[in-house]
Formats: sequence, C-alpha cells, structure tokens
Amino acid sequence: MKLLYAEDELQLSMAVSEILKIKQYEVDSVFDGTAAWEKLQTNTYDAVILDIMMPGLSGIEVTQKMRENNIDTPVILLTAKNETEDRITGLTSGADDYLGKPFAMGELLARIAVLIRRTAKPLKPSILQTGNISLNCETYELKSDCGSLRLSNKESELLALFLQSDEKLITSKEILSKLWEDQTDENAVDLYISYLRNKLKQIHSNYNIQNEENGFSLQAE
Amino acid sequence: MNKEDYLFYGAYAPILEIAENTVLEQIDAILKKNVNEGVHNPAEYIISRVKSADSMKEKLVRKGMDTDVLSAIKQMNDTVGIRIVTHFIGDVYTISDYLKQSDAWTIEEIKDYISNPKPNGYRSLHIILKMPLHGSELDFLPVEIQIRTIAMDCWASLEHQLKYKKNIPNADLIATELKRCSDEIASTDLSMQTIREMLAK
Repeated sequence: MKLLYAEDELQLSMAVSEILKIKQYEVDSVFDGTAAWEKLQTNTYDAVILDIMMPGLSGIEVTQKMRENNIDTPVILLTAKNETEDRITGLTSGADDYLGKPFAMGELLARIAVLIRRTAKPLKPSILQTGNISLNCETYELKSDCGSLRLSNKESELLALFLQSDEKLITSKEILSKLWEDQTDENAVDLYISYLRNKLKQIHSNYNIQNEENGFSLQAE
Repeated sequence: MNKEDYLFYGAYAPILEIAENTVLEQIDAILKKNVNEGVHNPAEYIISRVKSADSMKEKLVRKGMDTDVLSAIKQMNDTVGIRIVTHFIGDVYTISDYLKQSDAWTIEEIKDYISNPKPNGYRSLHIILKMPLHGSELDFLPVEIQIRTIAMDCWASLEHQLKYKKNIPNADLIATELKRCSDEIASTDLSMQTIREMLAK
C-alpha cells in the first residue's frame, strides 16, 4: 500500500513516516502542498495524508485540485485548527476524513486502514466458472470444452452477474440498473439475455438462463 | 481446370466436371424451389472447383498415399468442392436441411465445425455427399460442400494465407489473434442471428 504524506513540520513528518513504514506502508513524504500536487500528478497512491496549513498550496487546495482532476484517492486532512468550520471546509472540498492535531498515531493508522478498505475495489475473480463453462472477465472469453466465443463487454458483465448469482433470481430492473446508466427500455435486457442464451447454447453449455417471474436465473439444463 | 489439372485427372477430368455441374444444378434447383415457395434465398453466393493437381498431390504426399489419379479420386472427399456462403448463421442450417432432404445424392458425413470449431478457430459446416455417377466406371463420387457465413468465409481466407506463408516471424501472435477474431466473429454472427429472429417475430 502506497501513501503520500504532506507535512511541513519536519520532526513530525519524520516520526509519522517512520511509523507508517514500520506498518508496511510505502510512503512518499513531501513538505509543502506544491510538492504534494506534483507527486499526485505522476504517482498513484492508495491514500493521501495532507496537513492543511502548508507553504505553497494548502491541504484543502491540494484536495480540490485532486477532485477537479478526477483523482479520487482517499484523503485524510490533518490540522491544528480543529474547529467545526475547518472540518466542514475540508470535507466539502473533497476530503474523506479529518484528524485534529495533536493526534494519536494509532488513530491515524486506524483511519488510513478504514479508508483503504472502504475504497478498495472489491476483488473480482478474473475467471468465473460454472458447470462446463468459464468466463474470463478481462478478455470476455466464454469457453467450454467445445469451443470459445468472445463476448461484448455488456454481455460479459451480464453473464458475470449470473455466474456469481448462485442460481438465484436476478430481476430485469436490477440488470438494467447494473449494466446501463441511461437505458430505460427493458427490451434491452431481453435482447442481451437472448444473445447470451444463444451463445451458451452454441458452446454446448450445460447451464443456461431461464425465465422467472420478474427476471431470470442461471440453471443447469 | 488448367492444362496441368487435365493432364493429372486424364480420363476422369470430364467426369469430375460433370459431377461438379450436376451438384451445382441440383443445389440451384433446390434453392429456387424454396424461393418460389416464398422463402428468402439463404445462399448469398456459391463457388465451386475441382481440386488443382498441385494441391491434390501435396495432400496425397502429406497423408502418405499414392499420388496417382485413382488413389486421389477414391480416397479424397474434396476432389470436387462446393462452397455456399450465407449472410446469417441460421441460413447455414437451412441449406444443410435442404441438402439432407434431396434424393439426388446420399449424405456420407456431416462435420459441424460451427458447433465444434477447430482449435485454430476454423468454423464451417462440411457435408460430404455421395454423388451417383451413372455410366462411368466409378459408381459414385464424394463431393464436399462447405457452408458458412460471409464473416466465417472472410476469416477462412485470411487463415488460408497464414497456412501457406512461410517464415512468419510472429506466427504465434498471429495465430492467437486469428483465433480471437474467429471467436469475435462467431459471437457477432450469433448476435445478428438473434436480432434477425427478434425482428421476424
């Protein structure tokens, strides 16, 4: 896990960085907001710790720049100014959490862990398997011992839903909202279900999608 | 057939040409009959050939067989070959059903490489017919009919180029990419067939 830590008080910076490293974090330490912003433009971090009061850009300004540039890495703001107004400004500028100085190191560590856990993308297995078929979610390859097909990304997402559904019902509404942002026509769902049914049949799958009331489920044939 | 082919096939050359034309005429008649009954013509185009002497000899050598003409005609199923190309995957099976129903020949074998593609990605439906030959010293001649979609045909022509090109530096990459193309084409063929069925409802 890689962290960016921006703090202009040298002693504090050294102490905190040292502890973070002991806790197995990889840490880039910088001492002002401008340097922090430069690092953020060229590196990817799992979380960012920013002091608010820094030379150059303030922690709040760095956060704002990050969000304006679609960098959505979680941010914890640190400051001596532990007042309600500052907390609100910090959080509305796009920060995820706020810690007032002086803070207990244990609390900072706990908050970093929470942020990383919350924002980490759920680990999706890249290959999903059911019956005699497997779907590679990265290459969209649908495979059985009788051949293979390359699905479109939407077909692959839809089949992944079914392969992870444990044969449970998935409603048309659920599919519509999970696969499309701006599609309201449920016929789209029916069409994509038909694509998948024909493609599963083509590779001699022993599982296929069955109609249920209000939706569909994947069942052994 | 060119001069070399006539030399190789000798007295059998006219028989092969008659067989080729007879099968073509029969297929044409079957398709026309169904079109007259109001069904759309499932065949986009049809091509045929008698296997060239060169490629016949190459194949016989590769299979460790004698390279004389009788050995070729008796043991090869594709001395006479016909390819029917369709727009949609459903049409492939419509034509296959027509051919099965005809009493102009008997069906020797059907190899469905659409349902069970070859490992390199080759997809096509192969039907081996036994075409009776009246008034010739051969009782019948096998004829290979390949039926596939335009997309599969396009893929096969590219793959054919790979097969006969020597010393390709990145052959593995090309083979992998061709396989991927075939799987994508097959997937799109199926999507288009699905849309077509939906429109026909």
